[in-house]
Amino acid sequence: MFDFIGNRKYFYAFSALILVAGIIGLIVNQGLNLDIQFQGGTIVEFQMKDENFDVSKAEAVAEEATGKIVSAQSSYSLDSEKNERIDMLVLSVSSSNALSEEEHEKLSKAIQENFEIQENTVANTRHVDPVMGKELALKSLFSIALASVFMILYVWIRFKVMGGLVAGVAAVVALLHDVMVMITLYAITGLPVNDSFIAAILTIVGYSINDTIVIFDRIRENSALLRKESLASITNKSIVQTLSRTINTSVTTITCILTVYIFASYNNIESIKNFMLPLLAGLLSGTYSTIFIANPVYVMLKERQAKKQATAKA
Amino acid sequence: MTSKSYSYIISSCGQEQKGGILQMKGNYGIKSFLLILIIGLLTYISIAGLEIPGTEINIERVADTIRYGIDIRGGVRAVLSAPADIDPTEEQMEAAKAVVENRLDFQRVYDRTVLLEKSNKRIIVEIPWRQDEKEFDARKAISEIGMTAQLTFREVDETKIDENGYLPLDDKIILKGNDVKKAAPGADPNTGMVFVSLELSSEGAKKFEEATGRLVGRPIAIFMDEQLISAPTVDEKIAGGNAIIRMGGANASEASKAATDLANTINAGALEFKLEAPHVESISAILGKSALNVILYAGLVSLILVGLFMLLYYRLPGIIADIALLFQIVAQVLIISSVGMSLTLAGIAGIILTIGMGVDANVIIYERIKEEIRAGKTVKAAIDVGFDRAFTAIFDGNITTLIVAVVLYMLGSGPIQSFAFTLGIGVLLNFVTAIAISRTFLRAVSGVKPLRSNWLYGVKGGNKNV
Repeated sequence: MFDFIGNRKYFYAFSALILVAGIIGLIVNQGLNLDIQFQGGTIVEFQMKDENFDVSKAEAVAEEATGKIVSAQSSYSLDSEKNERIDMLVLSVSSSNALSEEEHEKLSKAIQENFEIQENTVANTRHVDPVMGKELALKSLFSIALASVFMILYVWIRFKVMGGLVAGVAAVVALLHDVMVMITLYAITGLPVNDSFIAAILTIVGYSINDTIVIFDRIRENSALLRKESLASITNKSIVQTLSRTINTSVTTITCILTVYIFASYNNIESIKNFMLPLLAGLLSGTYSTIFIANPVYVMLKERQAKKQATAKA
Repeated sequence: MTSKSYSYIISSCGQEQKGGILQMKGNYGIKSFLLILIIGLLTYISIAGLEIPGTEINIERVADTIRYGIDIRGGVRAVLSAPADIDPTEEQMEAAKAVVENRLDFQRVYDRTVLLEKSNKRIIVEIPWRQDEKEFDARKAISEIGMTAQLTFREVDETKIDENGYLPLDDKIILKGNDVKKAAPGADPNTGMVFVSLELSSEGAKKFEEATGRLVGRPIAIFMDEQLISAPTVDEKIAGGNAIIRMGGANASEASKAATDLANTINAGALEFKLEAPHVESISAILGKSALNVILYAGLVSLILVGLFMLLYYRLPGIIADIALLFQIVAQVLIISSVGMSLTLAGIAGIILTIGMGVDANVIIYERIKEEIRAGKTVKAAIDVGFDRAFTAIFDGNITTLIVAVVLYMLGSGPIQSFAFTLGIGVLLNFVTAIAISRTFLRAVSGVKPLRSNWLYGVKGGNKNV
């Protein structure tokens, strides 16, 4: 039987390695790539006649029309009904205030005069108030923190046999691990941090805790059955006994995420792609942390507690 | 101590199963049959709808009733808020929302979403594109709805009635919005008559007394901007600044809804600030529709892949898991469509994710059953014990996830809230399907002798345990 608890140093080291990679990524890329959502500004997308348009010219035209800093990109999407390619010019206007109605008008006019836009189409406009983005981020962080407290309390009550509080803390440590892995992904790849990032983190929090609890449940059961064995051995047995369940649920969930990711990639639907990638990373991390972090940390904390009690008695 | 009480749970479960095994066989068979019928019917209704001629029953198919978010349908989305230097009360925001609804009604924009975010004091308005509409109109509609509301009680020329009702006489304004201190819906406990009570300022009371004295038997029209809201007839001269407007209506609940609406509208007339719309977003309908198709296909493929995995890995119980999964997805979609929550691309992605996570409870149970079979139990005994032993894992796992969902729902707003809703529903359905549906099916199947082979449960080693 593989020793999940005995080899914990290696697992911690692996996670630490990811953490270091994340920190290096943060330093090299100068922080996370905050999407316009958190910086404030306006994104305007025009549907173009074809793909032959000069992006840098568009940037210059837009900057002149609005008097603001604009970054332009070309992009495309597939119209799945007609199987046609839709070419787009994407302008990101950064400013702390959203574009006013007149500025928007001016910009549309300037682009229409200089480029060939698909007839009868509507420009896509998204405004982003940096306050809203920050509010959303703060709220989500607060929600996760509060949810963590409640989860520790619940585990404390329901898993008294396992030492309650210690088990709850170990479960939450695994959660933090997963959040860290996802931040690392964003730090290294420079993916834009936005709503999807927050939604993905929330999803993984829900998934990972469920995953951990199933093994804890087994430890709880085995603690009653195998009283003579050491905690490390009980935990190890519990991990092995629930291993096929841990793997199978990951397989079915990852199948779904991968399918959506592949479909979105093929049709170049950026928003869905950017939602699925962090989910994929979080899921792998969630499965890993359930087995290799939550349980070893639980055993470690429990053993320390026992040592302390022993010295206190002596 | 706790470990004792825990082992007690297991042993008490064990005792339960001993009685009446023969009796169960028939029961579970009939129950399973009924469940399959129900699941089949629900699936059929959600795909094709249901209409029984000659009855009132007419359920539209889900594809027609589900509300898609603005990111899929395309349209305009605006966030309205009070100017930065004003901190409106909750009542004022409710009133402001009534103003927005009213103005959109006036512009004949009925297909819209108006959401009040109480915690942020923001009103979110979403208007989808209409078929032949140009961009300009909807954007203009949004910029107009934020203007200050002007409520007036006016004398009208009864001889001239245009398409909006009575023609207002601009020089004969009786009361303005700020003359009304408060309007509230109410009902007479004795007669059941529904009304809106008005409380006027002292100056308003004087003006109202004069006008009602002069206009007995004639209507006084209430206008919001240029739209006629209501035109009650004056019964008698009203002094003292307290008046009531009696509501008609076919039944009590309709009348009381109308009273609430009217009170909100009149309160809105006292709205002193303008709603600003710094964020007007427009989203193309073509891209959204295309994305919807793609993600629906992705969902279908995911469902097939997960279904196949369960079938190949778990064999007989796998079929049961697939039926349960089908139920779970259908129920989730039906609930979302009946609650009227609008479904965004991310929301659909979330539902697809629950396809993968939704089989978890069944995976836990089947793994446990396999273990018990390997430990030497018969298939039938393994199913009974496996279910009971798996129960606590499923229960605690789901409760902790439910805690996440509830906290997010309480604290979050907008997208987080709808995500939390989907997650919560998913967890509850997961629990119900595993405990009620899978259990019933498995018990029924285990009652049939030829279906008790180990192979059918994905365990190697022939039929020696039967």
